[in-house]
Amino acid sequence: MLGLDGVVGAVVGGLIGAFIIANVMLTTTAIAGPWAKRKITASFTDRIAVNRVGPFGLLIIVADAVRLLSKELIVPDGVDRPAWDLAPIVITFSALIGFAVIPFGSGLHLADPETGVVFVFAAASIASIGVVMAGYASNNKYSLLGGLRAIASNIAYEIPLIVTAASVVIFAGTLQMSEIVAVQRQPLVTFAGVTIPQWFAIVNPFAFALFTLANLAEIGRNPFDLPEAPTEIVAGFQTEYSSVYFVLLYLGEFIHIFLGGAIAATLFLGGPAGPVLPGFVWFYLKMWAFFLFTQWARSAVPRLRIDQFLNAGWKGMLVLSFANLALTAILVGVIV
Amino acid sequence: MSLEEPGPDADAAAVARAADEMEALVGEHVLSRDDHLNAPGYVVRPDAVQDVLGTLREEANLDHLSCVTAQEYEDRYESIYHLKSYDDPTHEASVVVPTPKDDPRSESAAPVFRTADWHEREAYDLVGVEYEDHPDLRRILLPETWQGHPLSLDYDQERPQIVPLREHANPLEDDQKADEGETMYLNIGPHHPATHGVLHLKTTLDGEQVIDVDPDIGYLHRCEEQLCQNSTYRYQIMPYPDRWDYISAGLLNEWAYARAIEDMADIEVPEYAQVIRTMGAELCRIAAHMLAVGTFALDVYGDFTAIFMYAVRDREKVQNILEDLTGQRLMFNYFRLGGVVWDLPDPREEFFESIRDFLDHLPGSLEEYHDLISANEILQVRTVDTGVLPPAVAKSYGATGPVARGSGVDYDLRRDDPYGYYDELDWDVVTEDGMDNYSRLLVRLREVEESAKIIEQCVDLLEDWPADDRTIQSNVPRTIRPDDDTEIYRAVEAAKGELGIYMRSDGTEQPARFKIRSPCFSNLQTLPEMSNGEYIPDLVASLGSLDIVLGEVDR
Amino acid sequence: MSDSAPDRFRSDPTQVETDTRDARISGTDDRFNSKLRQAFGASPFILTKFDQFMNWVRGSSMFMLQFGIACCSIEMMHTYAVKHDLDRFGAGVPRASPRQADVIIVPGTIVSKFAPRMKRVYDQMPEPKFVVGMGSCTISGGPFQEGYNVVKGAEEVIPVDIHVPGCPPRPEALIYGVAKLQERIATGESSPVVVKPYDLEEFGDLDRDEVVDQLAEQIDEDDLVMRYNWADSP
Repeated sequence: MLGLDGVVGAVVGGLIGAFIIANVMLTTTAIAGPWAKRKITASFTDRIAVNRVGPFGLLIIVADAVRLLSKELIVPDGVDRPAWDLAPIVITFSALIGFAVIPFGSGLHLADPETGVVFVFAAASIASIGVVMAGYASNNKYSLLGGLRAIASNIAYEIPLIVTAASVVIFAGTLQMSEIVAVQRQPLVTFAGVTIPQWFAIVNPFAFALFTLANLAEIGRNPFDLPEAPTEIVAGFQTEYSSVYFVLLYLGEFIHIFLGGAIAATLFLGGPAGPVLPGFVWFYLKMWAFFLFTQWARSAVPRLRIDQFLNAGWKGMLVLSFANLALTAILVGVIV
Repeated sequence: MSLEEPGPDADAAAVARAADEMEALVGEHVLSRDDHLNAPGYVVRPDAVQDVLGTLREEANLDHLSCVTAQEYEDRYESIYHLKSYDDPTHEASVVVPTPKDDPRSESAAPVFRTADWHEREAYDLVGVEYEDHPDLRRILLPETWQGHPLSLDYDQERPQIVPLREHANPLEDDQKADEGETMYLNIGPHHPATHGVLHLKTTLDGEQVIDVDPDIGYLHRCEEQLCQNSTYRYQIMPYPDRWDYISAGLLNEWAYARAIEDMADIEVPEYAQVIRTMGAELCRIAAHMLAVGTFALDVYGDFTAIFMYAVRDREKVQNILEDLTGQRLMFNYFRLGGVVWDLPDPREEFFESIRDFLDHLPGSLEEYHDLISANEILQVRTVDTGVLPPAVAKSYGATGPVARGSGVDYDLRRDDPYGYYDELDWDVVTEDGMDNYSRLLVRLREVEESAKIIEQCVDLLEDWPADDRTIQSNVPRTIRPDDDTEIYRAVEAAKGELGIYMRSDGTEQPARFKIRSPCFSNLQTLPEMSNGEYIPDLVASLGSLDIVLGEVDR
Repeated sequence: MSDSAPDRFRSDPTQVETDTRDARISGTDDRFNSKLRQAFGASPFILTKFDQFMNWVRGSSMFMLQFGIACCSIEMMHTYAVKHDLDRFGAGVPRASPRQADVIIVPGTIVSKFAPRMKRVYDQMPEPKFVVGMGSCTISGGPFQEGYNVVKGAEEVIPVDIHVPGCPPRPEALIYGVAKLQERIATGESSPVVVKPYDLEEFGDLDRDEVVDQLAEQIDEDDLVMRYNWADSP
């Protein structure tokens, strides 16, 4: 990259790449958080939402961000100081790190370790530690309940999530992200001149459905938004956070949604593959499609109760995901 | 007895006979008779309250303690227990318990009727009667530090009061960091997104499970009873009922006052006005139920979701119609004694057209609600068999309205104790047997359909009403002074249940005692019964399904 | 401004001066006054531009506190919802936690038991924060003013930037109030107000009797004193 060789080249190239990707994702979430979310929710509920500030209300992004950053940062009495300060940082940056191994297409791929799948799930699940830190350190009972809910739901749904991903790994025969994408480029069937690629969502829609559900739970969106759960526990683990820390939490949440979308796109939807448009655009669209899906669920699906949620996780999702894994393993063993 | 049906003498004789039979049941305790306009009143000794109420409940089938009124006379305190029967609300009796001025002690009715618990606390708080054998006699509406009892005769309102914030000193201090104990104490409210206003739930949790919940009310105690006592019957009281149950249920509440005073002062209401009243009241019921459904969805879904917005959208339509009719969106002040304030808006055809438009679209939007809410599996999992309220418990807490009907208690004053134009119309009382949050939701959705039926018939009637017979108000004297010491308790079916008003006149143009029996006050009492042992989300859902309005709970 | 305690209770209404009213007239205590500007002393060009930008930011976007009290909260919900859609003005995101809210709309009657709690919620909000008083009850107690339990207006407890009269105000009126608030913030003329404290000095004016003596040691600055002295209300 850039004609530089050796260690220096790798470091400089890595930094530039990281800078680009981090900025792309932060911009994306900045658009999604204050503006797109409001507009999407509004169109689900017969409203218009922001339209006064700039064209289509787009300047609300600037206004919201600057206003939130400029607010007074309240540190409540009795918070557990290092943990309370670190939690928003952990939540946001764990999600950002996950993007390091995501192949965005068009050559934008920061790192491609052989254990890419493991890395991305490991990075994504650090966020739940951040949530627990936030919940515990806030010295607020609602936050504490939110934190406890987060840890219970993460344990219950992380396993089905990873086991379902493992079925993809068996199929592809590799843990490397770029390889998984490459495998999905191969044609599945050609029908009337149209070649349908071997996307895992098409090969195994059942696994895709399982993965999407577990993913929703992992990123804590409706109907599984239990750690936050407004109307029950106020704002869950975020209750005591204001100003900059709140911005970080808010960003972290959205980056998480997009990371979830990115993982789903890479593992199941052929990554950056798609006709005509460049790969990066396709990948970006797929992430936004997942975001749209979460917003739709938020507007229309009731929230489960914590015990029902855990029951569904341990007794339903876990069994189904292992069944899926076993079946995939047998099929792959027989056919290949 | 009842002025409502001044029927033939035979009826009056039958009522009198029934009253005597009841008196025979409890005869040994009865000191004298103090009949009210609506029911026979038996004066009993302060130490015989439980005996008398128990006997009347078992033998005379008076199983509904509708209200407890306390008041102070020049020479004595008095507690009145208004009893009714769930099977036939026109079968009534009042038990009057006088207590001396210097030692206002009376036996508590809480062991017989559980609903008496809060009612007697309120009586203690506002009037100062003390109840022996009461499980937990402390202030309920006013802060603990309040000095004096504001509805007693010698209360000095000029005196400053001090209200500390002690309860919120540091919620973490004592309970969470204690060494022993597995439970956590959680203050839900008074400012919390799920409390629908300013309710405070003192909750004890074991993990996520609710061990005990103690509703703490009084954060919206606006002295409605005192203000009504300081207002004249003719005009000044009517605006206040709008503000008890403020969820667009104004006309239903106004009717409670109108019915009580019209019976008390013997005022006729023209039939045309009754039809308008019926139509307006049912429009209000639709609006109120829509918001109940919307906020219930808000509680279960957890965000300002599509259902909430759709419910508000339909409310806007109803409010437009009501605004055309009354001139206001929320606080209508439309009823007058002996009728309504003005006729339907001109041009009448356009007004009828707008109502018919709304009614035509209503089945479609109800279909939408059923698709989105009641047919949703997740919602069913969340609400079926949670917040269970068995009929017997509901009755002992005096629950009424959709809460009682969701538990299978077939009790609706519009049918059982008819007023207005309801008994001329064709509609049904909705009940569900599920006893849970889901049933209460269904009852509300189905009641909207029934209300639509009623409105449709009213519109038909009004359209064909002869133009020369449109009397909207009967002749009512400028000042109303009911006879001295006339007492009446009258109730109507408001959006949340039985909204009753007790009034005692002292010969002036202001009531000497004005007591509001709020359905939400009794319904909210069932919350611990429904939620203990369940999870926090169920507690929130149960609270949503009770559909309380704090303005009416605290008054 | 009257600092000496006996001046606080004046019976002649024309002679009444309160902290709030005085502060409004004299224009002290600007809530936007930053440390940066204090350091620079005057208002250099760059800071003026920065001020304008910050005023625009604060006036363009605000999170509301999800806060319902009484009748007006029903109309407030309608203002957020379908037909009126307050979010068009960038002010339609209700946050459940006061830590994340900029504006508190006080929608209803404040009674003695709730007033200290409301002040607590207000105190929990981060600066800069704004208050919209909705309805007559937050102006004077409205139709309930003569009740023994009713606080005569929100300004007894917290400072109010915009009053929206009505019982209840129509949603359009509330939107107008919020838009007006935004306009004032954006042009940098938000009303200077001071929080009226409940301090012991006020309490000390009460006639000493056994009750006051008994409560005197337990009372602290968060406690509300219901004074029923209408002339002294702001």
